[in-house]
Parts: sequence; C-alpha cells; structure tokens
Amino acid sequence: MAVKEKIVSRDFKEYVREVNPDVGLDESIKGLTPEKIEKTIKAVLGARTARIRAVLETCIHCGLCSKACQWYLSNDGDPSYAPVAKMRMTIWEMLKRDGKVDAEFIKQCARIVFTECNICHRCSMYCPYGLDVTFIIGLVRRVCFVLGVVPQRQMDQDHAHATTLNQVWLGQNDWLDTMQWQEEEVGAEYKDLRIPIDKEGAEVMWLPLGAEPKTGIYHIERTAKIMHAAGIDWTVPGKDVWDSSNMPMFLRDFATMQRIVRGLFDNAIRLRIKKMVLTE
Amino acid sequence: MNGSGNWDWDTKEKYVTDINELKKKFPSVRELVPSDDGEKIATTVRNEERRFTTCVNGETWEETFERIYSLKFNPAGQLISLALRDYEWSVIIDREMWEDKFDYIWNLTLSPDGKNIAVNINKDQMSAVCLNGNIWENTFFDARDVAMSPDGTRTASHVLTKRRAELDNVGFMKKNWTVAVDGNAWDNTFLNTWGAVFSHDGSHVAAVVRTDLVQYTIAIDGTPWEQTFGVVWEPIARPGSSEFVAPVQTPKGWTLAVNGKPIWGNFSQVWRQGFSNDGSKLAAVVAVSIGNWTIAVDGKPWNTVFNQIVATPVFSPDSKKIAVAVKHKNQWTIAVDGSPWSETFENAWNPVFSPGGDKVAVKAERNGKYFVVVNGKIGKKGYESLWDPAFSPDGNKLLIRCVDDGKYYRRVIPVNEI
Ligand code: SF4
Ligand code: SF4
Repeated sequence: MAVKEKIVSRDFKEYVREVNPDVGLDESIKGLTPEKIEKTIKAVLGARTARIRAVLETCIHCGLCSKACQWYLSNDGDPSYAPVAKMRMTIWEMLKRDGKVDAEFIKQCARIVFTECNICHRCSMYCPYGLDVTFIIGLVRRVCFVLGVVPQRQMDQDHAHATTLNQVWLGQNDWLDTMQWQEEEVGAEYKDLRIPIDKEGAEVMWLPLGAEPKTGIYHIERTAKIMHAAGIDWTVPGKDVWDSSNMPMFLRDFATMQRIVRGLFDNAIRLRIKKMVLTE
Repeated sequence: MNGSGNWDWDTKEKYVTDINELKKKFPSVRELVPSDDGEKIATTVRNEERRFTTCVNGETWEETFERIYSLKFNPAGQLISLALRDYEWSVIIDREMWEDKFDYIWNLTLSPDGKNIAVNINKDQMSAVCLNGNIWENTFFDARDVAMSPDGTRTASHVLTKRRAELDNVGFMKKNWTVAVDGNAWDNTFLNTWGAVFSHDGSHVAAVVRTDLVQYTIAIDGTPWEQTFGVVWEPIARPGSSEFVAPVQTPKGWTLAVNGKPIWGNFSQVWRQGFSNDGSKLAAVVAVSIGNWTIAVDGKPWNTVFNQIVATPVFSPDSKKIAVAVKHKNQWTIAVDGSPWSETFENAWNPVFSPGGDKVAVKAERNGKYFVVVNGKIGKKGYESLWDPAFSPDGNKLLIRCVDDGKYYRRVIPVNEI
C-alpha cells in the first residue's frame, strides 16, 4: 500500500495524496524565506493581476470544467482534482494572502501544477466563459520555477536545455558524431543513403526530439530511410539548436523557451531551408 | 573583398570540373564547396569500399578516410577539412594532417585571413580548443563553440568546470559553466553561458551569462554588468573600444544595451545587431510589433515591415547603405535602405555590395533554379547550383561560381550583361 498523507487547504479541509518524495520539491523548499516567496509571487503576478482577476472574478464555480480534466475523471470525480480547485488552492490563495505564504504552501502548489495538471487546455474549452485555466496554472508554474521548486526530472531537463540546447545533455560533438555514425550504420544497406549535415538550400530540415539521438537511435535510422526512399532533399543542422522539444515551456522558463525557438529558426534561416519537419 | 584584386577578372569562362562524371565514378558525392576565387571546387566522395576521400577540381586524393566533413577554403585557396583516419580525428590543410590527433573535432573556425585555424576538440573525455595544432593547456569536462580574436591569435570557448552528475540539480545551482580564454577559465562561474566574442583588438571577451534561474546579463572578462535582464542575446564588440553591445529584454521591451544601460528605444524583439565598417552606425533586426520585422539603424526603424523573416543586415563598404534578405508573405526578396525589390523569389541568400556601394548582388532561387540578381534585375541564366556572387574591385564585373548542365564553371560577367 502506498503511503498517503493528509493535506489541508481552505477548500478541502482534509484531502489525501500518495506521498511522492521528490528532491526537486522536498529539498528545494528548504532554502526559501517568506520574503523571497512574497517578492517572487509579486514579481510574477504583479504585471498580470488584471488578467488574473478577470479569470478569478468571472469564474462562477459551476464546475463544468471538471468534466474536461483527465485528473478529475481518472480519480472518480474527486473535486480536489477539478481545474477550478487547482486555481483556488494555488493562485487564489497567493492573491488572497498577498503573497504571504510559506514554503510548504509553495511545495503543495508545485505538486498541484506540475503533477496534477498537464496544462492541456481542455478545461478552457469546457468553460462557458472560456476562462483560461491553463494560463493561471502556467503562472503558478512560473512562480515555482523562479523559486526553484520543480520536480527533479523536469528541472533537470530545463537545465539541460539551458546549457546544451537539448533536453538530454548531448554535447555538440556527440550530436555530430551520432549523425555521422548513424549514416555509416544505415548507409551500409543502401547505395547512397545520407544524413546530410548543414546542407544549404535543402527542401527539408529535420529536427528530432532530444531523446532520439540519445536513446531512440532507431528513430534516426528510420527517418533517414524514409527521407531516402521518398527522395527528399533534406538536412539536419550541424549547429545548435537541433532538438525541437521545448521542455522549458512547461516550466515557463521564458528565456530558455525563446532561445530554443529562436535557435531552430536561426538554423532555418542560416541554411535557407524551405520546411522544418519535427518529430512528435 | 578579401584579395579579389588578385583574382582573374579577364577570363570569361573556365570550365573546371564535370560533376556528373564524378557522380558516375563514385557511389556518393557530397556537397560541393568552391574556393572564394572560384578556381577550385572541392567535394568529399565515398568509394566502393565505403571510405571517404576529397576531390579537388576532379582530382581525387589517394589517401582515404573513415570520415571527412566541414570542408572550407581559406582566402588563400587552401582546403581545410576535418577527417577521421584510423579512428583518430584531426584537421587537414590541403593534404597535410595536423600532428595531434583527437577523439572528435568540430566547430572549424578560421580567422578572416584564413591563416589561423581552430576547432573544438575532445580527447579522453575532456574538451578544449586547438589552435593551429596547439591544444590549450587546460581541458574541460565540456567545451561548446569556438570564438576567435579577429587577428586569429586567441580563442575562447564556453566550458564546464566540474563534471556533471546525473539529475544533480543542486550541483547545477553551484554554477559550473564559464568562458575559457586561451584555455584559462574566468574566475567567475555561471549557471550557463553562450555567445562569447572578442573585442576588435582581441584583448577582451564578452559573453551572455546566466547569474540566476531567471537573470541574464553580459560578462566582460568574467565581470558581469551590474544590471540583469529577463534574457539577453549575443553581444558584439563596439569597434575601437572595450565595450560590447547586446540586445536585452527589459520589462518595457527589447532594446540594445552597452554596459547594462539601454541605448535604444523599445521593440518587441531586437537581434542580429552589427556595426558599419567605419563603426559609426549600428543596425539591428527589430520587431516593431509582434510579427512586424524590419531593420532599425541607430534605433530608428525603417518604415517598411516584413511579416516572416529579416535576415542579417549587410552594410555597404562605405557604411552608407544597408541591404538585407527578407521574407514576406512567403516570398523572399532584398530590401535596401527600407525599399524592397519588386521581384520576389522562393529563396534569397545574403546580399553582397559592390565596392562602391552602388550595386547589390545576390543569389536567389526561382522555379528550382538559382539566379544572380543585381539591383533587383534577375540574371538571364538559371543554374543548378550557384554560390554567392562577388564583385570585381572596380564593381563592373561579377564572379559567378556555378554548376551548369552538370559541370562546374567559373565565369566572369560584366554587371550590365547578367
Ligand atoms: S489544463 Fe490541467 S486542469 Fe485543465 S483539463 Fe487539462 S489537466 Fe485538467
Ligand atoms: S467552467 Fe469556467 S466558470 Fe465554471 S468553474 Fe470552471 S473555470 Fe469556473
């Protein structure tokens, strides 16, 4: 039996969750001070309070959004997973308490916004007012990210993107070497199968997900075969950015998020390719 | 116009190599790379034994390699490439390989005169830079990118100073990245860093540094600007000074900053900044609002905007004009001082000014063929392959490096006869 813990919130006097130890949440809250938390909340929400209030004050708590949410549905309609509950238990409290919340509260927020919501946007579709719940969840994620309170793996991917511009810490040499090695491997079966690197003016630039050259090598092979069989004039970039995944977007790490997108387009412009093909 | 005065501007046409013949001879012929003066055309070919060699003007080297990539001619016409032989990588200059061998090499970088050659190297799981065959004394757990001083005597790279442990987010926050210059890491370290660049005299290096999860700034010789920003883009050196200029994101928008202080007004985006040759003007790509891109010169945007791409602005040699490749409504063209040409293309490369600055030439694509376009007028002939055109020193002739009917030619055409 999984260990469960009781969590108390203003809306749910006592609700239970499985204990899910994660140093990204448990350890990183240790360095937080009330001042830092308040300052961060005000910095993140400050400029946007009008838009936030528009969502919070328009919401009539009808609960229609719940029916959209996979978390609510897959937990037998437990109201503590309802989209509106996720707003109430996080940003609502932050505003109500004018940012004066403690580290444990931030940890609970991080649990809710990172592990009980996929920012899928479905709830906004179900809401009669089209209220953008995901925007709100995203802001709470931003607060948690700025405070460094993010599940370990997600934070690690963000750090990987920030330093290596791919989510798997691949060095520039490893990326090039992998492409060349894959061409040798797959090329043996075909007359002139290539993985052209930095081919200017190619029709298509293929941008894999970071995991492909690291753990999904067979994807590279298959992509090369498909391009070859279809007679596509294609290339992969020899410089950053080649990983089309954007994990920082999920943390609302806006800087790294922009660097990735900009880097992909910089490669497209540098090589004057016509189309980008991404793995998804 | 690197040495174009010494090029042959009299011979109208030189047939150099039959590319189709090459393709019949070898199972695989890779991308073609011409020399600046167009006299040579190089490519990597793979033989029946699946080994690679290089072919210059139809003549194939005897020696074969497991891999060859990153072919580049320097202005003197020497071919530089990176090759793997007997499972060791090194740099090849024409046919001569550097003595030192490595587990991997990448980011081939040449000084403007082509005399100095640097690469990132990896050996025994440590990385560094190797300049002209001399590897840095200190190596690092990772090295990313090569920056070179304009005179080619100094190099820098972004380096990892402590070995990374899996999922060690606590360790990451201790700041393990910095810039190493000639192998010496700055004392200050950062969460991450990129965009290192030397001052024109080579005595200073600036780079983007991340000082906190959400704070970025520029560090010069390891010392960050006092001000931090939401994010900043790569700095460039201000000619004749130790200052650097970088786009920075402030709460009011994007602007350019020097020493942490904004020098321009605010835009939705600013990047690809560059100084004119005389250093008097500063231009950058800006978005005046979302999806409306143009060039701003000394902070003042052009009146015309483009909705997709504004590539890197190019100043005329006399610093008076700016030309840039733009993409608007799915069509490429060239805009000169804010006025786009009326002809549009499927693709257009970066424009080239004549020495006098009165003419602009560019390689552009239409219906799958490549054309030379001068001042908006399309050349008569479309080619299978074409490289950037170059003007003669008097600006009256153009050097055309092209593949026509499967053959590589070097042609010299009077500008008014294109
Ligand atoms: S965005 Fe989050 S709260 Fe809304 S439906 Fe998706 S998972 Fe549920
Ligand atoms: S459906 Fe809209 S109005 Fe109703 S509870 Fe959800 S967010 Fe509020």
